[in-house]
Amino acid sequence: MSSLGTFVLLASFVVAAYAVTASVVGARRRSNRLVESGIGAFYLVAALMTVASAVIVHAFVTENYAIVYVDRYSDAAMPLFYKITAYWGGLDGSILFWVFLLAVFGAIAVKYNRESHRELIPYVVATIAVVEMFFIFLMVVHNNPFSTYLTQVPPDGRGLNPLLQNPYMIIHPPALYIGFVGMTIPFAFGMAALITGFLDDSWLRAVRRWTMVSWLFLTFGLVLGMIWAYEELGWGGYWAWDPVENAGLLPWFTATAFLHSVLVQERRGMLKVWNVTLVIMTFFLTIFGTFMTRSGVVQSVHAFGEDKELAWIFTVFMIFILVVSFGYVIYRLPLLRARHELDSWVSREAAFLANNWVLLFSAIFVLFATMFPTITEVLTGNRLTVGPPFFNKWMIPVGLILLFLTGVGPLLAWRKSTVSNLRDQFLWPTVFGVAVGAGLWLLGLRVWSSGLCFALSAFVFATIAQEFWRGARVRQGATGSDVLTAMIGLVGRSHRRYGGYIVHLGIVLMFLGFAGEGYKLEEQTLVKPGQVVTVGVYSVEHLEVKLGDDGQKQMVTGHVAVTREGKSLGTMYPARWFFRKHEDQPTTEVAIRRSFWDDLYITMAAYDLQQQTATLHVVVNPLVNWIWLGFGIMALGTLIALLPERAYAFASAPAAEGAAAERV
Amino acid sequence: MSATTTNDSSTFRPWHLFAVLTMLSATAAVFTVGDTSATNLVMVSLAIMSAGWAGFMVFRTLWPLAAEDGDTHQPIVAGKARVMLEREKQLVMRSIKELEFDKAMGKVAQQDFDEMVGRLRARAVGLMKQLDVHEPHYRTQIERELARRLGAPAVDAPPPAATAPAAVSVAAADVAIVAAVTCPSCETGNEADARFCKHCGTKLTA
Repeated sequence: MSSLGTFVLLASFVVAAYAVTASVVGARRRSNRLVESGIGAFYLVAALMTVASAVIVHAFVTENYAIVYVDRYSDAAMPLFYKITAYWGGLDGSILFWVFLLAVFGAIAVKYNRESHRELIPYVVATIAVVEMFFIFLMVVHNNPFSTYLTQVPPDGRGLNPLLQNPYMIIHPPALYIGFVGMTIPFAFGMAALITGFLDDSWLRAVRRWTMVSWLFLTFGLVLGMIWAYEELGWGGYWAWDPVENAGLLPWFTATAFLHSVLVQERRGMLKVWNVTLVIMTFFLTIFGTFMTRSGVVQSVHAFGEDKELAWIFTVFMIFILVVSFGYVIYRLPLLRARHELDSWVSREAAFLANNWVLLFSAIFVLFATMFPTITEVLTGNRLTVGPPFFNKWMIPVGLILLFLTGVGPLLAWRKSTVSNLRDQFLWPTVFGVAVGAGLWLLGLRVWSSGLCFALSAFVFATIAQEFWRGARVRQGATGSDVLTAMIGLVGRSHRRYGGYIVHLGIVLMFLGFAGEGYKLEEQTLVKPGQVVTVGVYSVEHLEVKLGDDGQKQMVTGHVAVTREGKSLGTMYPARWFFRKHEDQPTTEVAIRRSFWDDLYITMAAYDLQQQTATLHVVVNPLVNWIWLGFGIMALGTLIALLPERAYAFASAPAAEGAAAERV
Repeated sequence: MSATTTNDSSTFRPWHLFAVLTMLSATAAVFTVGDTSATNLVMVSLAIMSAGWAGFMVFRTLWPLAAEDGDTHQPIVAGKARVMLEREKQLVMRSIKELEFDKAMGKVAQQDFDEMVGRLRARAVGLMKQLDVHEPHYRTQIERELARRLGAPAVDAPPPAATAPAAVSVAAADVAIVAAVTCPSCETGNEADARFCKHCGTKLTA
């Protein structure tokens, strides 16, 4: 089977090269035969990658330890679910998985756009196939997941890293990869538009859905990573500015900026160069993130280790991307001229531009801070690290500015806002925001960043509510329906705009969750049976420590009784697990009691089975679940914005002419 | 045989052959592998299915090279300017709608609205005129294409000139259902919910 896998990889490289050649030559010679053949070859790469994936999963399931990759990332005692998902648990397999996803996504994108964007498709195929060739080349020459042991085959594998044996960690990489890989599709369309000169707004329409879907999966992947860090690493938080976390965040910033500035190009014909630059940067950052996590240039809890040769190969490819793509941008600058100028700084396009600059600053800052230890090592020989406080010092104000702009943008008019516009639009949201801020101050909740975040969240929430209310009233006046029906109709008629507002609502909830961090309480204490730790309104009584074994691992479990203001909440079980294949890497199993307002979070940092003592780390995390809830709302808003027009046919009866204006 | 797929689902198509071969291979594998786990059998079957897919795609790659290139003389990039004008027209129309909604929401001052919407309407009219100048028989072409799709059989269709009169009547009937509002200025037929004439931009009364 390993020979078959290697052969499929080699064949895929050749087929991808053929797809590039046939598509480009076909497009230049105006030969549909060649273009069609190139598209066929492109689909074939997807099929071959599926075969390769089936082969590697088969090897894991049948415990074929003759394959080095299978030996490194699985063992006989692992549950079937983890054996299958070990496919993307290591470097070699994750690259194969990446190409598989890219090939499948690319095939779908080409299939659905080949008629509506015929002029772009040959170059879309060529661009994606070049990216596929790079990753297949990596596997063929450097990280072949099908390479075998030359001599003795081990009787059993070494087992998957215990930290990865977690359901969230199993879903997290595919979600993140889908987000990463999905960003290649907008890049390919952008490059095709640059190459062909079709630089009107049509390529944006082709990529808008792909960008939104990829953005959603990227967000999902980041949130899953947060939940995994929160539940598996056991340090009490969800985001530590780890380089691998940051690698996913970088393209998220630029993709978010792109999703906003696309609107400006569509409405006002501005920011054409900016949009194409953002698409290129987003794609570049996905490759750069992959480079960071796989080359060893940064140190992280879950990077793939140091590999200088791989780092060089990636560096060459990244330079190639930058030179070719920005070369084309410069070449096409005359076609990328804006149709309009910025008329006023008090306009929606100006707010979008400001939002873009802040997001870009965030990306550059996080990139710089993440690479800072590497840069200092290269320059001075000493590795100077920067921790979460440094990131927070800069990113908290930046985050608050972004939150503020989230509220301001929708209230401003395109082109320019008059004084009466501003007064009419901003009055109630500002009053509400200020009232919430003042109320919290009076209640004594005086963490400045959290308090400001709450006030801004209230402001943004009020802007969203006002938008829905006023829109519904306009529609009500036009159709004569009740407010609820009018609101549904409103969302149906302008689902992209109102889906976006729902996404903003999710952002508000997430920010409220982040603001809760300011009121976090924690205590770490060594306790004997019967002793009680009190944190906030919770009391935790240590009962005992027990030892268990399930064949794969030994489990040391603490038993603690929990009460809230004297009322019993039952027993919780923080634990430490020792996997047989990785006894030097014990995992911390957190006991969490979730509620709407806060989480009680208990870990057992140390223990003594003979004495029955334990060192308990008890944390009260206010509002943390609002982060996950916020993501749910964001996903809902994105889906509403993504659904096609026909999905809203039931709600999109046309409004009577003039009725709306009369109402207002 | 064309390199592209047809909408006729009644004929035997190449992928059917590959699907049958895949199922036969998977069945054979299940019997020949013998003493093994259910998971293993599922994995082997999946691998064979993906191999079948790959086989079909090899066919899909090679067939266009062997088939007659019926479209060779049709440029891939047809009417680049027209495509761009069409797209810009759609964009302008949507911008007008959005602007009207913003106006109704009280986000645009009357003066700004008049200025911006006037500019957009002028642009829309200009684009329509450009489209007419650029491609004077464009509407006829669309109607012919509509007629071909609605009236003529998918396979072995006679030349467009022969079917055009009958088929255009089908298209015209179809258009007549949609075009319920006639422009008082230029007498162009517009859709029932249109508020402005798509030809000259004059405001339509309901």
